[in-house]
Amino acid sequence: MKKLLNNWLIQVLLFLSLLGLTAYGSQIINDITSPYVLTIGLFIGINLIMALGLNLITGVTGQLSLGHAAFMSIGAYASAIATVNYHLPFLVGVLIGGLIACFFGIIIGFPTLRLTGDYLAIATLGFAEIVRVQFTNMKITNGAIGFLGIEGSTTFPIVMTIAVQTICAMVWLENSRNGRAMLAIREDEVASSAVGINTTLYKIQAFAIGAFCAGVGGALFAHTTTFIQPTDFGFQKSVDILSIIVLGGLGSIPGTIIGAIVLTAAPEILRPLANYRMIVYGLLLVVIMIFRPYGLMGGVNLRQAVRRAMMFPKKKQAGREE
Amino acid sequence: MSLLTLDNVTIRFGGLTAVDTVNLEIKQGEILALIGPNGAGKSTVFNLITSIYKPTEGTISLAGKPLVGIPTHKIAEMGVTRTFQTIRLFSELSVLDNVKIGAHCRGKAGLFQAFTRLPGMKREEAEIEEKAIKALKFLDLETKCEEMAKNLSYGEQRRLEIARALVSKPKLLLLDEPAAGMNPQEKVVLMEMIRRIRDTGITIFLVEHDMKLVMGISERIAVLDYGKLIAEGTPLEVRSNNAVIEAYLGSGKFKSRIRR
Ligand SMILES: Nc1ncnc2c1ncn2[C@@H]1O[C@H](COP(=O)(O)OP(=O)(O)OP(=O)(O)O)[C@@H](O)[C@H]1O
Ligand SMILES: [Mg+2]
Repeated sequence: MKKLLNNWLIQVLLFLSLLGLTAYGSQIINDITSPYVLTIGLFIGINLIMALGLNLITGVTGQLSLGHAAFMSIGAYASAIATVNYHLPFLVGVLIGGLIACFFGIIIGFPTLRLTGDYLAIATLGFAEIVRVQFTNMKITNGAIGFLGIEGSTTFPIVMTIAVQTICAMVWLENSRNGRAMLAIREDEVASSAVGINTTLYKIQAFAIGAFCAGVGGALFAHTTTFIQPTDFGFQKSVDILSIIVLGGLGSIPGTIIGAIVLTAAPEILRPLANYRMIVYGLLLVVIMIFRPYGLMGGVNLRQAVRRAMMFPKKKQAGREE
Repeated sequence: MSLLTLDNVTIRFGGLTAVDTVNLEIKQGEILALIGPNGAGKSTVFNLITSIYKPTEGTISLAGKPLVGIPTHKIAEMGVTRTFQTIRLFSELSVLDNVKIGAHCRGKAGLFQAFTRLPGMKREEAEIEEKAIKALKFLDLETKCEEMAKNLSYGEQRRLEIARALVSKPKLLLLDEPAAGMNPQEKVVLMEMIRRIRDTGITIFLVEHDMKLVMGISERIAVLDYGKLIAEGTPLEVRSNNAVIEAYLGSGKFKSRIRR
């Protein structure tokens, strides 16, 4: 009971601080011209799409990846080359970005499958570095100078549409045979294979879909900033995306959404703090993780809560029958 | 008719021969128990059957089809499922999801179905759920459906593992110390459940230290000692077998239990 109360207290505090933050945020919205806010919204959407992909790999399937920025960069460059060099339509470029990233997700999936935990993390990290160095040295990407002249075709409605579609796809996946198999792999690989789950297949699927999301996000990113360079996709970027899903609660889709909003908006909302901005940002992360060690939505299962509410009358009926 | 055949199966871990030229047949529809002192190699036999380990020598076959070299997940598909000595549940998932995952090898839906959610896929989902609830009812866990697996009691977790293994309608069910950690009442219930499972046509191969349970439900008992099969027969035969008594002599606990 005490534990519950404690939990509720935290929830209320969290809610209040969120409320305060929102109030503060709306103040800022009044202060700042709306295109600025819209751009933040755009980045929230882009980060969300990529984070949902990583959530599938790391949160759902349990494969720690530190190389998500690599898939993002592949999507970004591939789409930029498609639209600039080959004059393909923007959305076709986005699709190409996603597909090529997906292809690399599968390629990287194979050799890293024998690795688990920390070793997998290091391998994906290495892969990301290789990709970044490769882009720095390639001619078609204009190397370290960066890829210029990408059209700013990404709009808020497009990003939101893709984000909502990604959310739907992820919710559906999680409630399917494939999604359950991925969750099972996260929980226990040996037990998974003992019930007939081909762990290799589902890990690769997770990598492929996750990389696709990152590629799409990268393509949208490239067509937002109109200029990309390899340093945009460094280790820091991978960590940023990972932070979103960890803060939101690994494996939780609502958590990923909240994480993407909080972590994308926070640095902007904290902008008035000037030099202290990143300190406060860091503190915010630390405090959240202290109070919610499994992330904001960690351990909160919305689906289950709803189901439980729905199952209750059924149970009563069953009781009466007996 | 023999369902599972172990033919001269040997596995070595470095210098240690954990299972030593074991020949064993499991007949269709029987309850066979494998007993032996700690470290005799019983769990290793299960790991060999389910291809978690590959035998150094020998062959294993299920109804004539070889199992050696076939990946673990295919073995489940072929109709051999198991529980683990140290419980291996999907602990952060619901009880119902645990059992639904157990039905994985009987499902067909792939990524396309997941993303399109056509009627066919929904039908399969409903079927899986129905099967899962049926299996949970069988093991008297249906009221725990929405509970997280890790929040179940020890005995319930053991039963959930059985439900998860059962839902795919295996031909052969391997139970590794299913009664470990259960209280006496739970053990009695478990015995009844194992019998009922067998009565649905599923062959049961069981590793267990609890002699009362073993003697109570097994039709045949095989005894393993230092990786070698030292006896095989009905409970009565095994109980009076000199080699078995010898093997257990070091541990008075076992000696008294066997003689009883
Ligand atoms: N992967 C492995 N590597 C090395 N040795 C192993 C391995 N698996 C099992 N062994 C060894 O094989 C022997 C048999 O182990 P096993 O777990 O099969 O015994 P058991 O009969 O199930 O015992 P218990 O009753 O304690 O469960 C033990 O000596 C064990 O240490
Ligand atoms: Mg054992």
